Order: sequence, then structure tokens, then C-alpha cells
Amino acid sequence: MFDIAPDHAIGLFAGLLALPFALLALRVRPAARRVPGTVLGASVLMAIAGAIHLGLIWTHRDEIITAVLFLLNGVSYLVLSQLFTWRWWRLGSVALITATLVGYMGYIVLNFDTPDQVAVATKLLELTMLGLVLVPVRGETRRRTSRWSAIAVALPLLTVVTVSVVWIDDLARPDAQHSHAGAVLQQTNDVATPEQVAAAQQLYDQTAAAIAPYRDWHAAWAAGYRPGPQNTPSTHWMNQRNVDAGYVMDPRHPQGLVYANTRRGPVLLGAMFQMQHIDQFGPDPGGPLTAWHQHQNICLTPFGFEFSLMTPTATCPIGSIDISVAPMLHVWIVDNPSGRFAVDIDSKVVKKIDQS
Amino acid sequence: MSSRPEAAFVLLLMQSIFWLIAGVSAAPFALAGEIFMAGLALATLLLALGTCICAIAVLWRRRWARVVVIALEVTCLFGSAVLLLIPLGFNRGLVSILVNVAVPVAVLVLLRKDREAFS
Repeated sequence: MFDIAPDHAIGLFAGLLALPFALLALRVRPAARRVPGTVLGASVLMAIAGAIHLGLIWTHRDEIITAVLFLLNGVSYLVLSQLFTWRWWRLGSVALITATLVGYMGYIVLNFDTPDQVAVATKLLELTMLGLVLVPVRGETRRRTSRWSAIAVALPLLTVVTVSVVWIDDLARPDAQHSHAGAVLQQTNDVATPEQVAAAQQLYDQTAAAIAPYRDWHAAWAAGYRPGPQNTPSTHWMNQRNVDAGYVMDPRHPQGLVYANTRRGPVLLGAMFQMQHIDQFGPDPGGPLTAWHQHQNICLTPFGFEFSLMTPTATCPIGSIDISVAPMLHVWIVDNPSGRFAVDIDSKVVKKIDQS
Repeated sequence: MSSRPEAAFVLLLMQSIFWLIAGVSAAPFALAGEIFMAGLALATLLLALGTCICAIAVLWRRRWARVVVIALEVTCLFGSAVLLLIPLGFNRGLVSILVNVAVPVAVLVLLRKDREAFS
């Protein structure tokens, strides 16, 4: 959702290319001086949306139905962008924009397409277009009540539904690289080779042995590990010295330890290696077994170090900021059903440890 | 008569819907025990409501609304600029630039010249 699909990039270029032509077309048409600026704004956005749809035909030429729909959509947008003096322009525009948005949501729900930045940006353009088409300006008398009703109800509703559909699809059907919400996995081979299995076992053994003294949390404290917020079942204890030193997957100097917060006190669950820089994945001796992961687009607040997820419209709750965290690799020394190097510890494991 | 306030109204309405969604999206995390996130969710929903009210007041050409909206958009732009400059991994995607930079700039441009239209 936060990337540009390679086959959609051409749509973005087409849209950007259309912008100067759309502005030029308005300058040379005397009729443009007789309509409100909101109509002209909608006309320019329609030309851009039309060009984006037409640009996508080439990369979707193998999908006949999709390509035909892009063609119809693109041509309709371009034609309507120039017909702003037509009596039925508003009605036609509202119908086309609504049909396009609903059609896109259908495509997403039926898994014919996955949302990306070009698609979400285009939907936002279309929703803005809808607002500009509908909004009555001062002095306009035609259908004011119905247009205001549509702006008050349909525009917010369509925006919320469109964004929700995109987001739910992204969370429910993550691609191969998104192991869970907000985490991107390092790209590796699909099946571990015998050498990679042996290397992963070696890393596990060395790490488990090196962090064994930290089963006593006092030892971890003495070594410089400090707990983060403890309002969750497990807590990362980070060692700033090891973070700053830039050790790379050194079992003797893991950047973090993970403890379960139990009634008996902290119980060691595993270690966490972390790289110093975003997008810099660490060495991967175990191939798919030891793939690093990076948390992207999480909304982090300094209040209690809590987080939520950034919305598809790239917005965070106020008081939190969108960040990405440098790649990390966990080594779980307790029996974790998701795996010894899994992104997360299974919550049932933590619960069981707490109850034991 | 200029229709710039109407265009600004549409953009502000979109902006308030984006904040509404951000506020609502924080609610599940608050329910899962993140108490501070509950406060942020509420604050974001209030911001969404305030932006919507300002959007309507801009439409009615209220001078105070123009001033408030300009202050709000300048703050948004400043915040986005800081986050874009510091290496925290702020999203630099197309949608992020549109929503966090292009929309505030467009609102500022739309409200820049129309001072005399506001009462």
C-alpha cells in the first residue's frame, strides 16, 4: 500500500504529464472565464485522473476487461474535463466519479488488484474532484440543497468507505514481504538450504548461551539493559551502548533483550539484534529462517511510547509521528510456535509463562 | 465572485476526514490497553471536528476562520517539513506528500489573496 507498483508507475508519469496540458486547455478556452474556479479545479483534476487511467492501459494490456475499463474511464474523464459548460456536466461527473470509486473498491474486494500509492492518490484526487464538482459557489442557485446534502453525506461516506476498504484489504491480505501489520521482511530464498539450517542453529546456540546470564534481570540491568514501557505482556529492554556501538548480529552484544512481564517479575524470552540504519538489513546466515524485519509506518507517540498504524492517507493521530524502525532480528529462547527467529512471540506463550 | 473559499472548504473537509480516520484508527490500540493513545484519539477527533467547523466558517467567509486555517496549515507544513528532514523514516510516499504537503500548500494558496472577501 505504501509502495508504487511497477505496473502503476506509468500512470503517475501520465498524470503529471497531463497537468500542463490541462492548464493550457483552460487558458485557451474563453468559456473557462465564465465558470467558477471550483469547476476549473475539477476540470484539471479530471484531466489528470483521465491521463492516469489511460497510462495504465499499456501495463494492463493482458487483462482485457481491466484495460477496456481503463480506456473507458480515461476517455470519459478527459471528455468531461472539457465539457464543463454542458448542462448535465455535474450529474455526469458525479456519476462517473462515484462509479469509478465503487468499481475500484469492487476490484480490491474481489482481489483483482492490490492498492498502491498511485491507486490511493488517484482515489484521493477523485474524491476531491467530487467535492469540487458538488460544492455550490455564492450566487449559484441550481440544486443547492441536493448538492449540499451530497457534500455533507456522500463525500465523507465515500471517503471513509474507500479508505477503509483499502486498509482492510492491506491488513487482511498482506503481500509476501509484509509478515504482519507494519513489518517488512528481508527478501531471501524460499527454502532454507542445509548450510543455512546449520548456520541458523549455530546462531541460535551462540545467542542462547550468551544471553543465559540475563535470565536474572538484575544481570541485564547491570550490563546496561533498560526496559521500555511495561504496559504490554512483553517488554524490550534496550542497551544503548550496544546500539551506539553498531554491533552486527553479535550474540555477545545483542542490542535488546525481550522479557515477559509476569507476576514473578521479568522472564527472559529472547534477544533482539538491530541494525543502526533504516533499510539496512543485516547478514542473513539462515536464509529464510533468519530473515530480518523492519517496522514501517507506525505512528509512535512519546507519551508512554505507545503506537498505532499510519492510515492509508498517510495520517497519524496528533501527538504521534510516523516513523520506521531499523531492521531487527529476534532470537526466541523459549518455545515459540511461530519459530525461533519469528517476528513476534506468540501471545499464548507469554500468557502460559505468566500462569506457570 | 471568487470561489476560492469553496475550493478551500472542499480541501479542509477532506483534511478533517483524514484526521477523523486517524482518530478512529487509534481507538483499537486504546482498547488494547494503550491509555495514552486514547487521549490522542480523542484529541485527533476534536481536531477533525475543529477543522470541519473552520471549513464551514471559511465557506461563510469569516475572517477568524481564515486566520485559524492559515495558522493550522502553516503548523502542518512546518511539522511535515521537520519530519521530512530528520531521518526517522517518515513516509515520503506519493500520498504522504499529497496529504501532508500539497493539501496545506493548496489551502494556503487559496486563502492567500482573498482577504477582502472575508468579513
